[in-house]
Amino acid sequence: MNIVFLVLSLVSLTFLTINSPEAVFPTMISGAFDAIELSIKLLAIYSVWLSVLKMMERTGVDKLVSRMLHPITKRLFKGESDDAYTAISLNFACNLLGMGGAATPAGIKAMEHMNKGDSTATPNMILLLVIAATSLQLIPATVIALRATAGSENAADIFFPTLIASGFSTTIGIILCKIFGSMSKSSAKSASELASASKSASKTNEFCKLDNLKSNKIGEFDTCSIKKINALNTKTTNLQRAKETQKKI
Amino acid sequence: MTVYILPALIIIMLVICAVKKVAVYDCFIDGARGGLELIKSILPYISAIFVCITLFKASGLAHSIAFLLSYPLAYLGIPSELAELIFLIPLSGNGTIALLNEIIAEYGADSYITRCASVICGATETIFYISAVYFSTCKVKHLRYAIPVAIFSTLSGTIIACALCRFM
Repeated sequence: MNIVFLVLSLVSLTFLTINSPEAVFPTMISGAFDAIELSIKLLAIYSVWLSVLKMMERTGVDKLVSRMLHPITKRLFKGESDDAYTAISLNFACNLLGMGGAATPAGIKAMEHMNKGDSTATPNMILLLVIAATSLQLIPATVIALRATAGSENAADIFFPTLIASGFSTTIGIILCKIFGSMSKSSAKSASELASASKSASKTNEFCKLDNLKSNKIGEFDTCSIKKINALNTKTTNLQRAKETQKKI
Repeated sequence: MTVYILPALIIIMLVICAVKKVAVYDCFIDGARGGLELIKSILPYISAIFVCITLFKASGLAHSIAFLLSYPLAYLGIPSELAELIFLIPLSGNGTIALLNEIIAEYGADSYITRCASVICGATETIFYISAVYFSTCKVKHLRYAIPVAIFSTLSGTIIACALCRFM
């Protein structure tokens, strides 16, 4: 985000300064003013929707929604807390119904539940962002209203193309997220994390032995041990890399 | 029909509250307070994004990049009239709606261009705004592959949208 912000603002500032230097500050101020205007609008929207969300929370309806969407959320987001699943389900439900005002607070809450204090986004957090950013909305109400007021004969005829297009983009997003997510798991993260890798590596070794004793089915045994051997391998390579970097230092 | 869905949901919610004896007034107060806190944490992010995007549009860069992009986009089956719209969508929600209005006024409400533009607007979101706001309260700085993946998926959805509008 920092790099995007730097490049965008630097390049456009230079251009604007060359073309019309007197317009630079009014433009920046008007941008900030738009932000405040939007914030006040959002404040109104969130006040209404957050109170509806509060009602859902206190009547237990949010847990009901969460249970309904659980088959989907459980498969997409593995290993999160119940609170995170509830927030994710609410985010999905609100987005599908076109309640963007309620979806955003639920999404922010879901991110808080999924964040473990790291400054790096986890694959699950990125997945939620991509799903929200590729639009889940079932009925494009604003667009249909705009076309209807402009005198369209059948303003709602964009419904099915919109549904297919947004479904397609969301699917592509989920697939790409899963691919990148599994790639990033097997690749080394940072030098500071490498130190702890050795300990966990020995632990997985023990678990592996335990699992070998426990598992009766050959198929299960194979897949789980292969997974663990892979994890071991990556961790040992991480260790080696750490040692190399230490040597360099 | 669709106008009734949301009000009906809220009415149902209120009825459930009444049945379960949940204090509705307290819910509203707490919700509104939550809204204030949320805006307090979001505002700096929106401010930064808006200053950046406004500069970008005012400098004329957005327009010229959109013009350059219209040629490769044409190869993907996207009409060159929509290049600026596609470029603006990830950046600014209000800007997108304003531009859609202009497109409707210029090409007519039932033309191919307008239908394409409507489908694209309905099937996409403001990626930069969403990523800034969603991560605003939990100090996450490194988004890794999030934005490239979101942009790529949105673009592929856009290509599908333009193809669908030809025969649907």
